[in-house]
Amino acid sequence: MEKEVFLSIAKEFGLDLDDPHMEELYAYVQRVLPNLKRIEELNLTGLEPFMPYPSHEVSP
Amino acid sequence: MDSKEICELSISELSRLIQKKEASPLEIVEAYISRVNSLEPQLNSFITLVSDQAIESAKQAEKEIQAGRYLGPLHGIPFGLKDLYYVKGIRNTSGTKIFDGFIPDYDSTITLRLKKAGGILLGKLNMHPLAYGATGENEEYGHMHNPWNTALIAGGSSGGNGSAVASGQCPFAMGSDTGGSIRIPSALCGIVGFKPTYGRLSRYGMTPLAWSQDHPGPMTRTVEDCAMVMNAVAGYDPNDPTSTNLPPPDYTQALKGEIKGLRLGVVKEFFEVPIESDVSDSFWKAIDQLAELGGIISEISWPLYHYGTAIASLIQMAEATAYHRELIRKNGPQIYPPVRLRLETGIFISASDYIQTQRARTLFYHQSLNIFKNLDILVTPTVPVTAFPIGTTSLLVSNQKVNVISLLTQYTRPFNLNGFPAITVPCGFSKDQLPIGLQFVGRPFDEETVLRAAHAYEQATPWHLRRPPL
Repeated sequence: MEKEVFLSIAKEFGLDLDDPHMEELYAYVQRVLPNLKRIEELNLTGLEPFMPYPSHEVSP
Repeated sequence: MDSKEICELSISELSRLIQKKEASPLEIVEAYISRVNSLEPQLNSFITLVSDQAIESAKQAEKEIQAGRYLGPLHGIPFGLKDLYYVKGIRNTSGTKIFDGFIPDYDSTITLRLKKAGGILLGKLNMHPLAYGATGENEEYGHMHNPWNTALIAGGSSGGNGSAVASGQCPFAMGSDTGGSIRIPSALCGIVGFKPTYGRLSRYGMTPLAWSQDHPGPMTRTVEDCAMVMNAVAGYDPNDPTSTNLPPPDYTQALKGEIKGLRLGVVKEFFEVPIESDVSDSFWKAIDQLAELGGIISEISWPLYHYGTAIASLIQMAEATAYHRELIRKNGPQIYPPVRLRLETGIFISASDYIQTQRARTLFYHQSLNIFKNLDILVTPTVPVTAFPIGTTSLLVSNQKVNVISLLTQYTRPFNLNGFPAITVPCGFSKDQLPIGLQFVGRPFDEETVLRAAHAYEQATPWHLRRPPL
């Protein structure tokens, strides 16, 4: 994620951009977001989002 | 019987003593309070103790039992609750001083059911702040300490539960598990920890971390005790939208003592990730033992296992951020820094990313079900390492430097993602005399087979009988 995009989203959410903690957060976000790329490796064709299962379909 | 001996008994043993009137609830509660008072300076397992209230409840239980109004096997038995289970009139901190003054005006469903079963609350247990961490470190209320070596972590997030139950400060405690938070401290402290199927136990009246992965569950010293607690707390709850209306079985009836013919699977991908040699040695010895007991062992492949952490952690982050968004805005600098980082990172996961990840979870769930077409139980190590010093952020395991959170959750998190029932039981000790856990996982809502397998293994081995040197 580009730094500008990061700062824009952070500002919109209401984080304090002057907080020195923002640099640490940016570095952490850069480590976590690549996990989204891993999801893109999967073929999700025809799949809907997971829902906690209703009780009628879960009997062992 | 002296008070330390009382505190070493299981729920079933205490219950028998109460029924035979060989020990009174008051005697038992006083023994536990004395044990807590002597160990708390070393272990820091509790955030709030309610000793006076516990003594009053014990006197009441004694009167009821003497009058012939015996409520069942938990009547007069003390217990602890992780400090995120609401109890009417008692503060609920969720492990952070930000909520030090929050006093719920109602009981969680599980609190209520334990009270109705005659259980006696001793106190609220220490936890990783907001349940968002696996080590049991808490700078605000003090770190939780492992009773086997107090310089080491108890594990988390239900770390107070792990140290309290293992050290005999309470015979059982209710924890919560979003990525392993019941099973990790149970394994590191050498006790039994059970995460039933998602939907089996009500989440109503508990501080959420990630709604779709949060699981309540018991932490005990034996599998039989675990089944007894499950009997008291399981069942449909209209206040929890994901509560199942499948009637719960009598879990104690599942403990048949044998597993002959049970099909047990070992996931080969679980040994492609870092694991300490003491843990893998104990695991394979346990597999040999299960085979001797008549289990049919096979190796299986679960290719999507390697995606589990990515899927689960993204969903957890997005949901935790959604729940705590006002807290992040108003109290950001007061939140424990590692937890604050995780919570704020969720801001950067978009709605479409979240939904895409939930679609990946559907794929993961389907593959999980397929694995069980030819299996009854998966057997895995619970945690790939034993407890390590408080303050550690990474470890060198299998020649790889690994972040401790990823390491601690690598075998537990997949079963929060698919919601399948999973239990840990002690399966050995390291060269440093630290406990090691073995995990049994079953099909959704087949907790009976999970308990049956875990119980048969436990009864054939001596590990659950060892006590920490305190």
